[in-house]
Amino acid sequence: MTLTHYLALGAGLFAIGLFGALTRRNVIGILMSIELMFNAANINFVAFNRFLHPDRLLGQAVTIFNITIAAAEVVVGLALVLAIYRKLNTVYAEDYNLLKG
Amino acid sequence: MTWVAFYTFAVMTLGAAFCVVTFRNVLHSALMLGVSLLGVSGIFALLGADFVFASQILIYVGGINVLVLFVVLLAARHSDLVLRQSNAQWLAALLVCGVTLFGLLRGLKAYRSVTLAAGPEPGTAKIARLLLTDLAVPFELISLVLLAALVGAILFSRAEAE
Amino acid sequence: MIDHAYLIPLVPLIASIIVLLFGKEGPKSNMPLLSIGAMGFCWLDSCSILYKALTHQVSMPYPAPSLPWFTFGDYPVSLGLLLDGPAVFMTFVVTLVSLLVQIYSLGYMHGDTRFKRFYAYVGFFTASMLGLVLSSNLLVVFACWELMGVSSYLLIGFWFEKPGPAYASKKAFITTKLGDLGFYLGLLLLFAYAGTFEIPMLAQRASMGAVALPVEVATAAGLLLLCGAIGKSAQVPLFIWLPDAMEGPTPVSALIHAATMVAAGIFLVARTQFLYAASPLASDIVAWVGLLTAFMAATMALVAYDIKRVLAFSTVSQLGYMMLGLGVGAAGYTAALFHLTTHAFFKALLFLGAGSVIHAMHTNDMREMGGLSKKMLSTSVTMAIATLAITGFPGFSGFYSKEAILAAVYGHSPLMWAVALLTAGLTTFYMFRMMFMTFAGNPRDIAKHDHAHESPSVMTVPLWVLAVLSALAGFLLSHTGAFEALVHLPEASHGGHHPGFLLWSALAVFAGAAGLSYWLYGRGDFAVAADLKAKMSPIFTLLENRYGFDDFFLLLVKGSDVLARICFWIDERIIDRVFVDAWGLICLLLAEIQNFIDTLFIDGAVDLTGTVTGWAGGGLRGLVRGQVQEYLLYVAMAASLFAMLTLIH
Repeated sequence: MTLTHYLALGAGLFAIGLFGALTRRNVIGILMSIELMFNAANINFVAFNRFLHPDRLLGQAVTIFNITIAAAEVVVGLALVLAIYRKLNTVYAEDYNLLKG
Repeated sequence: MTWVAFYTFAVMTLGAAFCVVTFRNVLHSALMLGVSLLGVSGIFALLGADFVFASQILIYVGGINVLVLFVVLLAARHSDLVLRQSNAQWLAALLVCGVTLFGLLRGLKAYRSVTLAAGPEPGTAKIARLLLTDLAVPFELISLVLLAALVGAILFSRAEAE
Repeated sequence: MIDHAYLIPLVPLIASIIVLLFGKEGPKSNMPLLSIGAMGFCWLDSCSILYKALTHQVSMPYPAPSLPWFTFGDYPVSLGLLLDGPAVFMTFVVTLVSLLVQIYSLGYMHGDTRFKRFYAYVGFFTASMLGLVLSSNLLVVFACWELMGVSSYLLIGFWFEKPGPAYASKKAFITTKLGDLGFYLGLLLLFAYAGTFEIPMLAQRASMGAVALPVEVATAAGLLLLCGAIGKSAQVPLFIWLPDAMEGPTPVSALIHAATMVAAGIFLVARTQFLYAASPLASDIVAWVGLLTAFMAATMALVAYDIKRVLAFSTVSQLGYMMLGLGVGAAGYTAALFHLTTHAFFKALLFLGAGSVIHAMHTNDMREMGGLSKKMLSTSVTMAIATLAITGFPGFSGFYSKEAILAAVYGHSPLMWAVALLTAGLTTFYMFRMMFMTFAGNPRDIAKHDHAHESPSVMTVPLWVLAVLSALAGFLLSHTGAFEALVHLPEASHGGHHPGFLLWSALAVFAGAAGLSYWLYGRGDFAVAADLKAKMSPIFTLLENRYGFDDFFLLLVKGSDVLARICFWIDERIIDRVFVDAWGLICLLLAEIQNFIDTLFIDGAVDLTGTVTGWAGGGLRGLVRGQVQEYLLYVAMAASLFAMLTLIH
């Protein structure tokens, strides 16, 4: 197994996540897509760490941070979605257009 | 053996991820997200990152995914099942994603020769030392961020009773 | 009290301000008593100063302290007093006459709605005159001079709701102002040459001869100051305001004619006599102006029927006498000031008596009077005394002063003496004519005569006081030599012998004029006089028209009016049209061009910026559709593009 395999996997996951983030109408779907992109990045971190600097585990530590931040992001994001849902009674991103020019 | 596991997990991850972004039913998407995250955790295990593997399962699959499921259930409507779940710009998005993927994959050529140096070894103790020495300050800051996120989430999701 | 002589002008000034600003206005106001009290105080003060001067307890001029006022460049100007003989006598006369006039006015102005204001004005008038008399500084003299002009304007126009007084006050003010211009220029000239306004210092400089004060400067300054005196003292040709000034209340006329206004001009010439001493030409002009005035005014008085106008012309005539005296040297100087003093008494008396008559008859016209001696005994007797005094009946005050002037004039020029003597005869004639027409014979207007009555004692007592002074002042002051001891020039020779025929000719002229007057007017009917008038109507008309001076000045006014109209026309039609309007058009054109440029380029640039920004905003606005995924798409596009670029390189 080479590093390329892992990175390709990360790239594919990132592309799928990006596509989801760009196309899902449901805000929760967008959030989930963003989680996929996070994971793609995490795979890269861990893979690089494993292949290039196996003795220092900085990449894994950063991944831990990433997971934590993703957790925080999801918590706040979902809370926001709930709050907006209560106000606008919709979860579709195109309806969230109060700042329309 | 390793590449069997790798491809298994890779297919699992990518397939589930594709299901996440394409399923009409958000609940199914959320469930598929869990599958995808499990696949990623398998990749982590393959890479010898045992602590990250555990964290991935605990936090992502056990915490975040469950939370997403909750919210999906809270904010779901019947009409969602019959409505389009992707927007009008999906073609452009597909194009952009294709270009991005193409670019990323092109950039990977440089690492084709890098192979695994040594066998995986458990790194939990090392990570713990690292987090409490060199990365102590970011570690504490992250905890602060988590606290803030907690407070913010409670504040946002609270029913507007008062 | 002599050390506090500055109180003399100050107290009436303050009193008049208090009277003007405080207290109740109206016929029953008691503020006049304050004014009278202030004047009484001043009179007592001046009495004590005069007493000290007469008994030689103090030397004249008394060195009064002076106060620094301001510094004019390098020249300090101070507020000081010049207490010498003329000032002391003048102060006494002014305060006394003003006091009596004010007491008299209690009766005369009784019932006037502006009772209090009258006293404020009179007090202010007197204060100005006292300031003029006492000041050692020509600048202060000028200031007081102008203040007097203002107060005379206020007093002559006291009944300003009537057109006559309003017109007369304007005329008086403007006419005297014409002379004031000369005074002012003379003042500037003197200061330019001598660098001081102090009269003693100027006199000292003049006495140093032509080196210190060139003759031409003395002549010019003297003539310019004479202009002021001509205006103020109503000399030819600026006398025209004085007869019209009769429109004011009669006590005011008394004050103007006896003590204040007109005396100021004479006094100014007397104060600055050093200029005339230095310049024979100026001195001669003074004498000729005086002589001409005396004669012309006397002739004009011959034909006047208004009792106050007769007195006004007689005042002008007597002032001419004084001017004549001032113009004939040292002896004339003393005589003129002596005449000024005695004249103040009997002219005040004459005016107050005339006021009493007018008060009783409610008319000024002598043709409607007659036979008043029986009804108004005090008035007629005191007026008779005054008439004898002014005509120079032996023993009365006018006799001494007039004889002194005549003697001085004879010493200077016999020709002038002859004219002056003729004038004295004319004076006698018209004064007796006035007396006869007013008091003698039978009443011509029965209704008014029946209505007439003697004035209250508040008016007759001042008359008697003045009558006593008119009768005795000349004798007392002349025979004791008291006046001459205090008022004389250093170069005057004492005890000059006069030819005896001077006295006899004067007496003869007096007798002849008095007799002629009786023949024409004293016998009850004026047939002879009317006959004479018919035969000599051109002369009468000329005299009644005051030699055409009024017309002349009217013509002057009209001429300047025409000139002003021409100037206005030129200004409006030529200057305005050609220069102002053309310039305006040019400016307008330039402004239009600038406006065009401004609108097109400057504003255009500004607008263009705004429009472009607006377009850009409108274009970009389409991008901002509130669709978060669109934004994300853009970000992804940019990121992928960027990634591609970096990877290609």
